[in-house]
Amino acid sequence: MEGVNVSTHPEIPGEPTQTGTAILEKATATIQGFGPVNKIHQHLCAFHFYGHDMTRQVEAHHFCGHLNEEFRQCLIYDRPDDDGRLIGLEYIVSEQLFLTLPDEEKKFWHSHEFEVKSGVLFMPGVPGPIQRQDLEKVAKTYGKVIHFWQVDKGDNLPLGIPQVMMALTRDGQLYENLAKDVENRFNISFEEEKENRAHINGPDHGIHPLANAAGKGLRTVLREVDCFKEGKST
Amino acid sequence: MASSDETPGQMPPGDGSVPPGKPMTVGQHIIDKGAQMTQSLKPIKQMSQHVCTFASYSHDMTRQIETHHYVSRRNQDFLQCDVYDSDDPNGRPIGVEYITSDMIFETLGPKEQKLWHSHGYEITSGLWVNPRVPEMIQKPELRDLARSCGKFWCTWQVDRGDRLPFGAPALMMSPQGVNVGMVDLVKKMNDNYRILSEELKISRIDIAIPEMTNSYADYWMQTGKGFAIDIEKTYMHTISGDMAPPALRRSIEGTIVATHQTKRHSA
Repeated sequence: MEGVNVSTHPEIPGEPTQTGTAILEKATATIQGFGPVNKIHQHLCAFHFYGHDMTRQVEAHHFCGHLNEEFRQCLIYDRPDDDGRLIGLEYIVSEQLFLTLPDEEKKFWHSHEFEVKSGVLFMPGVPGPIQRQDLEKVAKTYGKVIHFWQVDKGDNLPLGIPQVMMALTRDGQLYENLAKDVENRFNISFEEEKENRAHINGPDHGIHPLANAAGKGLRTVLREVDCFKEGKST
Repeated sequence: MASSDETPGQMPPGDGSVPPGKPMTVGQHIIDKGAQMTQSLKPIKQMSQHVCTFASYSHDMTRQIETHHYVSRRNQDFLQCDVYDSDDPNGRPIGVEYITSDMIFETLGPKEQKLWHSHGYEITSGLWVNPRVPEMIQKPELRDLARSCGKFWCTWQVDRGDRLPFGAPALMMSPQGVNVGMVDLVKKMNDNYRILSEELKISRIDIAIPEMTNSYADYWMQTGKGFAIDIEKTYMHTISGDMAPPALRRSIEGTIVATHQTKRHSA
């Protein structure tokens, strides 16, 4: 059963990129501005699981940028290389911003304290002491993750509807084989990082009881509606 | 608990900035620069195009927005886009769009196709623009993309005043011939980039839009129906056992759960 929950990287159907297309896009990449995307400065690796199914766990490579000191956006890829599939988005807010959210909204956001303190959330390639400067802030934040592409199911295209995802909140949740796979590939030890991060604190007010879906499952459902009127269809 | 077609709760207090929050500190800038110097950020570097176009909410086609797509191509038939509400460095990340060729689109079943929209009209009518790229250079790509379909999820409804990304993701649709009310939006975009969509329309008159038989793309055009997403509470399927009664467990997953429990105890 080891293979079932190791991240898959299914082949996208279609022809390889033609030379003419590649050349054209090299040109556009040089000519055009990439304003908002240029703010993406950081790569974070962590794990997400489906909001309704903790047994389905996904390695998630976050490429993050700040909109301000208290708000980050992350593009989530299944791999950190040229071939990465864009599988989701995460928004990260400070504790202060999280506390201003309506209570119903808070349930869709997860805390980061455990992921940071346990070492499973890390910045590949960045020396420990530098990482920890940022992780001290991240440990106090909350995130909202939506995935659009269920690569763990082997989907070779982004099929179906968006999924609300959640993050690890305690020991014993993360599959050992997923953890070992990441530790080997990035040459790190979560245990060692955990010791180095012992001094890091979570949110000042403690993890909010409504965060992490208040301990419940969350699922998304598609509903057909009239597209030119507000309100639900019968 | 939340629906993409429902107004969210109260907005955070403050000065009305979107998103709210303190400006970046010097310390944070230094941390970010440090990361940037040591990390390769390869997937981000794959983004090779900026497209400015328009979209409407599937659950309310009267709400139309300008969108900025930062596109990376995975192969000749598939592209993935990071979508913002502006091309400004302070643009808000509002969602993700996937684009697939007509050939790949036709392999999808009807249920999946209903979530997709075609691109032929928005390209040939001059609404879709690649800022700063001479039309002549872009033309071959536009010819291809006019045959493509997109699937666009919006996770932040900035146009309705959401200061933070509230609620459930919303499905978006593309402009088609019958969309009304976009005149102001199009003029603003034209003024910003000093182009005229009307002129682009003329120069793109030779771009063919495929006739897709049995296609469920642009579902709203045939049916007047769109889609909303609801987020609901449910049972959480966990590793140490379901919180739900056993009858709700699928037998296959039950086997996986049992096997993992065995492995954990023997480790």
